[in-house]
Amino acid sequence: MLRFENIVKAFTQGETKTYALKGVSGSIQRGETVALCGPSGSGKSTLLNICGLLDNDYEGELFFDDEKVTGGINAATKMRRERIGFIFQRYNLIEAMTAFDNVEYPLLLTNENKSDRKEKVLSILKQVGLAGHEYKRPDQLSGGQQQRVAVARALVKKPDLVIADEPTANLDTETATVIIDLMRELGASIQTTFLVATHDSRMTERCHRTLNLQDGMLFDEVVGSVEEPQTKTLAKGAKHAEHQVSMV
Amino acid sequence: MQSIKLAWYNILRNRRRSLFTILITVVATLVLLASGGFGLYMYQGLEEESARDTGNLIITRTGYFETEEDYPLQHGLSGFKEIQQHYLKDEQVKAVLPNVDFQGLISNGEKTAIFMGKGVEHGEFLAKGPFINFIEGHALSAEVEASADPEILLGKGLAKNLKVSVGDIVTLLSTTTDNVMNAMDFKVKGVFSTGIPELEKRMIYTDLNSAQILLDSDRVSSIAIHLFDIDNTSAKLDEVQSQYSELEVTPWWERAFYYRDVKNLFDLIFALLGIVISLIVFLAISNTMGMTIMERTREIGTLAAMGTYRYEITRNFTLEGLMIGLIGTVTGIALTLALIGFLNVANIEMPPPPGSTQGFPIAINFSLGLTLFSSILLMTICAMAAWFAARSGARKPIVEALSYV
Ligand SMILES: Nc1ncnc2c1ncn2[C@@H]1O[C@H](COP(=O)(O)OP(=O)(O)OP(=O)(O)O)[C@@H](O)[C@H]1O
Ligand SMILES: [Mg+2]
Repeated sequence: MLRFENIVKAFTQGETKTYALKGVSGSIQRGETVALCGPSGSGKSTLLNICGLLDNDYEGELFFDDEKVTGGINAATKMRRERIGFIFQRYNLIEAMTAFDNVEYPLLLTNENKSDRKEKVLSILKQVGLAGHEYKRPDQLSGGQQQRVAVARALVKKPDLVIADEPTANLDTETATVIIDLMRELGASIQTTFLVATHDSRMTERCHRTLNLQDGMLFDEVVGSVEEPQTKTLAKGAKHAEHQVSMV
Repeated sequence: MQSIKLAWYNILRNRRRSLFTILITVVATLVLLASGGFGLYMYQGLEEESARDTGNLIITRTGYFETEEDYPLQHGLSGFKEIQQHYLKDEQVKAVLPNVDFQGLISNGEKTAIFMGKGVEHGEFLAKGPFINFIEGHALSAEVEASADPEILLGKGLAKNLKVSVGDIVTLLSTTTDNVMNAMDFKVKGVFSTGIPELEKRMIYTDLNSAQILLDSDRVSSIAIHLFDIDNTSAKLDEVQSQYSELEVTPWWERAFYYRDVKNLFDLIFALLGIVISLIVFLAISNTMGMTIMERTREIGTLAAMGTYRYEITRNFTLEGLMIGLIGTVTGIALTLALIGFLNVANIEMPPPPGSTQGFPIAINFSLGLTLFSSILLMTICAMAAWFAARSGARKPIVEALSYV
């Protein structure tokens, strides 16, 4: 589904150039839920932004279904509109819109007709447990409820890929668990691929796989699954890392 | 529909700021419509005054206003009675007033001065209303006994110069059409003021007949046609011109030099006012819209991340600006109408304008054209200001916008 090769991303601030990603490669299968872990500043958000086509200023190659991502900003916008959903750490709901309107928005962008939209929105809001809260605005909802709306918004158009940058970091443990389960449930039913940056061990436990970023390098790929609890082995010097290090 | 609803909620979201922005538009609308409407009211007054002064239409021999005469009434009209009779039957016509323009010397027996005279019919004073102010005496009588001296009205400055007052006799000297000097005695019937000192030093009025006798001619310089309704001027102009194609028919506005000067000046003032107000509105709305967009940077980033095109984002903000403009102008128009109504009832007087002794009531004309123009102008400015602000906001890289706190 998603493959990235030798991604290098540098930020230039005045004279100094800092490498946020020092050449990372990896691939994610359709329907996979992949956690992206690593300490703060390791480049998780940077990699997510590139994979989510929010940032096109990098070196290296990105493939969607084996097709190289090229083209200008409008092509990327179209791609995000049709195939990618986002969940943010701070929910990022549109304040002026009700829960219903927020969830409906992606469907407006994909030109679904009105009755279909209504049906889909109401159904997914019910699935995330917000029946009865449809016409509340974000400021009338708790953080957990807002993130439920955000999950519904990301998934309502049945995207191929969902990018989530620390979706549970602002939530208490209990709520976080609910959100994680919701993401998994809703995602599984429509074969969506998840790429989730997280510090949350309950999140990684529920993922098929964990990618570990450290200092801009992808260090290990721990294969695990929700069904069979994984044993985390730190395979130092995995093939990608070696490859990358020599590149920089 | 969805985006209108959204724009509306966004306007409600920061009520204080939206209210401020709307208020600016309201005030701008009110200022534009009230000052413009007052200007139109003034123009209307001046137009009516000008038309009353010269007559709505002035019939002369072709080229009369361009060529100088070698002797009095050289380019005058003969047979004015026929034209007069013809148009007096017209029910749109209030009066048909022939007059004779002439110059010469005026003397009190000891001292002599130059005069500029107008020979008019008695109807002049009836049809034109109070076009001159009498300081002393009255207007010319309708009939004068055959044995008595004909009557004359003198400008204030001229009367002072010659040291004459009502009841005194003055002598007018002028060249006749045959190029000989002719003199006639006149009895001063009144002394008037026009508000223009230069004119008051020279101006006299006599009756038409006496002027013709003095000049030994039965011609007149021009015939003024006064209409009841100034709006009929253009139509009447065509009609008279085709009726008397050998003569020249001049509408009042071509002779209304004062009106044109005043109008040009005020047009300029109103244009400048409009530009200044537009600029203020633009800056104010740019500023508040800029703040709004700054505050909503993360929202813009979110919308963009979800696949909204930049132009769609800009469009939504522009719609917000347009709605603010709409609310503002509609309120402004309503307030202007209320002001017009209030002025109608309150009847507040303006101090007398220069050259006049009478004040006039303040009023504001409501003009649909001006209202449409102002509203469209202001709404466009609001939309443009929002568009500018939104465009720079929507240009920010998405990643940067998303991490904006
Ligand atoms: N706009 C930027 N300008 C300069 N440097 C940046 C910028 N964004 C990120 N960086 C740098 O890139 C590196 C990776 O940042 P990134 O945000 O991807 O880390 P992260 O793994 O998401 O961290 P966190 O867990 O804190 O979110 C950091 O060293 C950071 O300082
Ligand atoms: Mg991050």
